[in-house]
Amino acid sequence: MKYRMVSGFETHVELATNTKIFCGCSTKFGASPNTHCCPVCTGQPGALPVLNKKVVEFAIRAGLATHCTINTTTHLDRKNYCYPDLPKAYQISQFDKPLCEHGYVELESGKKIRLTRIHIEEDAGKLVHERGYTFIDYNRGGVPLIEIVSEPDISSPEEAREYVEKLQLIMRYIGVSDCKMQEGSMRCDVNISLQREGSSVLGTRTEIKNMNSLSFIEKAMAYEAKRQEEVLSSGGEVEQATLRFDEATGETYVMRTKEDAQDYRYFPEPDLLTVKIPQAEVDKIAVSLPELPLEKLRRYTGALGISVLSARLLYKYKAVCDFFERCLSLGAGAKNLSNLIVGTVYSYLPTEEEKEAFKINVAAEEMAELAKYVDGGKINFTLAQMTLSKMLKEGGALGDYIKPADLEGISDGELEELCKRAIEENPKIAEDFRGGKEKAIGGLFGYIKRATQGRADIKKAEAVLRRLLSE
Amino acid sequence: MTDTEKITEKQLKTLSRLARLSFTDEEMGAFGAGFKEMIDFCDGINAEIEGDASSIREVGSREIVLGELREDEVAPSLPNEKILSNVHGERGYFAVKRVVK
Amino acid sequence: MSGRIRQLSALLQSRKISAAELTDRYISRIERINPVLNAYVSNTFDEAKKNAEFADKLIAEGRATPLTGIPMALKDNICSDGHLTTCCSKILQGFRPYYDAAVWEKLRAQGAVLLGKTNMDEFAMGSASETSVYGAPKNPVDITRVTGGSSGGSAAAVKADIAAYALGSDTGGSVRQPASFCGTVGFKPTYGAVSRYGLIAYASSLDQIGPLASSVEDAALVYDAIRGKDVRDQTSVSTPRGATELETDVKVLKIGVPEEFFSEGVSDEVKTAIEAAICLFERAGAKVKRVKIPAFKVALPVYYIISCAEASSNLGRYDGIRYGYRAREFSYIDEMIVKTRTEGFGKEVKRRIMLGTYVLSSGYFDAYYKKACLLRGRIISEFDEIFKSCDVLLTPTAPTTAFALGDKSADSVTTYLSDICTVPASIAGLPAVSLPCALGKGGLPIGLQIIANRFADGLALACANFFEREAGVNAELCREVQL
Repeated sequence: MKYRMVSGFETHVELATNTKIFCGCSTKFGASPNTHCCPVCTGQPGALPVLNKKVVEFAIRAGLATHCTINTTTHLDRKNYCYPDLPKAYQISQFDKPLCEHGYVELESGKKIRLTRIHIEEDAGKLVHERGYTFIDYNRGGVPLIEIVSEPDISSPEEAREYVEKLQLIMRYIGVSDCKMQEGSMRCDVNISLQREGSSVLGTRTEIKNMNSLSFIEKAMAYEAKRQEEVLSSGGEVEQATLRFDEATGETYVMRTKEDAQDYRYFPEPDLLTVKIPQAEVDKIAVSLPELPLEKLRRYTGALGISVLSARLLYKYKAVCDFFERCLSLGAGAKNLSNLIVGTVYSYLPTEEEKEAFKINVAAEEMAELAKYVDGGKINFTLAQMTLSKMLKEGGALGDYIKPADLEGISDGELEELCKRAIEENPKIAEDFRGGKEKAIGGLFGYIKRATQGRADIKKAEAVLRRLLSE
Repeated sequence: MTDTEKITEKQLKTLSRLARLSFTDEEMGAFGAGFKEMIDFCDGINAEIEGDASSIREVGSREIVLGELREDEVAPSLPNEKILSNVHGERGYFAVKRVVK
Repeated sequence: MSGRIRQLSALLQSRKISAAELTDRYISRIERINPVLNAYVSNTFDEAKKNAEFADKLIAEGRATPLTGIPMALKDNICSDGHLTTCCSKILQGFRPYYDAAVWEKLRAQGAVLLGKTNMDEFAMGSASETSVYGAPKNPVDITRVTGGSSGGSAAAVKADIAAYALGSDTGGSVRQPASFCGTVGFKPTYGAVSRYGLIAYASSLDQIGPLASSVEDAALVYDAIRGKDVRDQTSVSTPRGATELETDVKVLKIGVPEEFFSEGVSDEVKTAIEAAICLFERAGAKVKRVKIPAFKVALPVYYIISCAEASSNLGRYDGIRYGYRAREFSYIDEMIVKTRTEGFGKEVKRRIMLGTYVLSSGYFDAYYKKACLLRGRIISEFDEIFKSCDVLLTPTAPTTAFALGDKSADSVTTYLSDICTVPASIAGLPAVSLPCALGKGGLPIGLQIIANRFADGLALACANFFEREAGVNAELCREVQL
């Protein structure tokens, strides 16, 4: 019996606002415990929530960037459940009138993962279990989240990875979240079930909670699909359950089953009013949206003619794209420029974070100038790379490294002289070449490169050398 | 629930779990009776009302326009000592010992 | 006649007495009288002395308002920085908020003097203040009788003049009904007129802070001082002033008398007293019209479903982790929470939490909560319709006068019926004032309720002011109570 994986995602994304969703406390990550707190976000008796405008605007941005319909009348609801990290014993969320509905995220293949809804809600605090105590920090309590709920359109761990990566990129492009999974600003709950090949009946699903790494998501999905397949092929039934993925063992464990399912007793939040969003505001946000990741990728590989490999390496980082496009606007050609960035600049920014931040010593103006030298054949690519490396390492202006004279190139006469000298000073190599060792000529290229600091056109030099050697 | 469906003990157990309250079996018996009375009382909403019902509208319809919501400007938080002033805290955390006998 | 605030304020402004001296007099009255009445559950005398000092400074600088230097009290569910605020519940034992409620912030800035926190039903759930963990307060008019509730301590303190005025909170009648039982004025403003920030929630869509005072004018002065939109409470709204509008031309007044408010359960002496009050308006030239509110009969169940649903959620936070009572023995956090709540909440509160949980739970939500919300809409619409042809409605505040202590506390559903006249205005968010209009058997006060349309708080107060002056009832009822 063959089975097909059917998976849907519930993705929580922390919004990059300055303040929490219902109070003026800072959302900055990494402060001492309970120092970004006030009566509102610690659930003091008598405190009341006050909705942050930016949260609604950011959620609308996220909705528009994922092709959702925006509900211009929306309200918040209470989701009642008890956990020590939730100070009011209810989470203010949205139930029947989410801000955004009916969107999709497109994958590179053109497949669309449909989104059911995107709603706003508050995050909970953090628990630390230690030395027989439970310690609670409410700094994260009240940090704004959007929950992005997909339809069960994902059919493999690879597709899941691409879906999450695409979401991550979209959110970063539109500036609503840094989506750092390792810091918890993006977390996924994965629903997964198996469907008999050829059948349209959905299987019983399980939900793996709180995944915060792409590779663990893939592993957990593969493990869970295999587990369900084994259950089904041995004639058993999958039990509806909420699971936890153990990163150490690579296995999933049951947290709770259907029997002790929660009853959240949703009802409209009486402390907040219905929010009315003028269509003009939605339109204003729509107009302000930047080019989205997939559009950009397609433009880079299409109109700009960049290789798929380079384009993927570029479009992943918003700051890189901004820099790249600024250079383009200054007249640099896409091809040499992209190769310089992906080949040379990236070797100085080995980590993801460094690429995302893209803090380098070279201004876009100089980068564009350098690429234009290559574009115009004034210097060759190797020299450009060497120069760029030095600038990245030591700083300084382009003019410090490349003098006007360097740009004039090597005249034919000079090249003729240089080649003659190369043969004279390397009689052994010349002899080997003449004796049939074709590869020996490379030794002479090296001599010429060194002598001209890379300025010589090696193709031209090769022609001259071959002529001289055969004379 | 217009019928006189009895609130079962099982239902009461589920409710007390959701409400995080516990009742001994004895209490549950007495409570159940009073609770039934309260629900009967609430079933009074099913009374016939004369007159035009077409004017029924949803409440909670008071609205706020997006532009009137709070601006995203940081206000100072309270010092940690205040936050923990009503409880035994430790190293800045709220702390609950896991077993206390 | 002018009320106690005006009289005291005149003494203060003319320097016949200082705020500090006045405060000391009230403190010694409290020490003498409160042991009998149990109106206060905690005092804030240190704060009062500081407040008085500040008040004397304001007076000296010529920056005083009518409330400067006037000693007053807050219900035990209104937060003030550093002072016990327990909702008269064991679960909040020892709780000292570290911030001020919006109302106290405003009053303190005017130089009000806070004497203490007043007794109430636990979490404001009750109509006799008998569910208080500190025991019931006693009615100053007759100490064998209840004060009404839930703001019973506030009403008793004002009646016995151990506070010049007090703030209470009204969810289904909790300011008006005790005012009626104790013979004081009680005013519940339009929902949202007074910020709820710092009022410990019972039922958020109904809760409203209001003053209890010895005269309508006093109530209006306090209302003016505490009303106003507050950025910390999104449901708050701006309403017009009350005290500046205290006069109204009764000749052009259209009064509605909703007949359902006079149905079974309302005692004859109450009916007679209210009819007499209506006659007084009529004699003064007002047009009186009998009106109907058919949805009246579902008002009480609608109120209990909605208030308990919201309460079950609002009271979820009392888990022993951040404040208040914590169970002494447990083996894991979940058990600690259940034990804390089970030991910390009283019977009536548990009952309402369970009922609220029930009406919100899956399978019952539509039949109860959702239906109640729709019916709430119906009640609002019916009031809207009536206010197209009426300016104010006159009704009893409570079906009876104050009952004996211990009489009804055993039976919650019977007690619920005593809210029948106050609940409709709460559901619709309307302003309503209760003021003494007559004395019943045993000299027990009877309250007249005047309900106005949303934002017509000033009109409700003006009509009450007219009645108080014309009927002269207040003067009689306000005589010093001998204890």
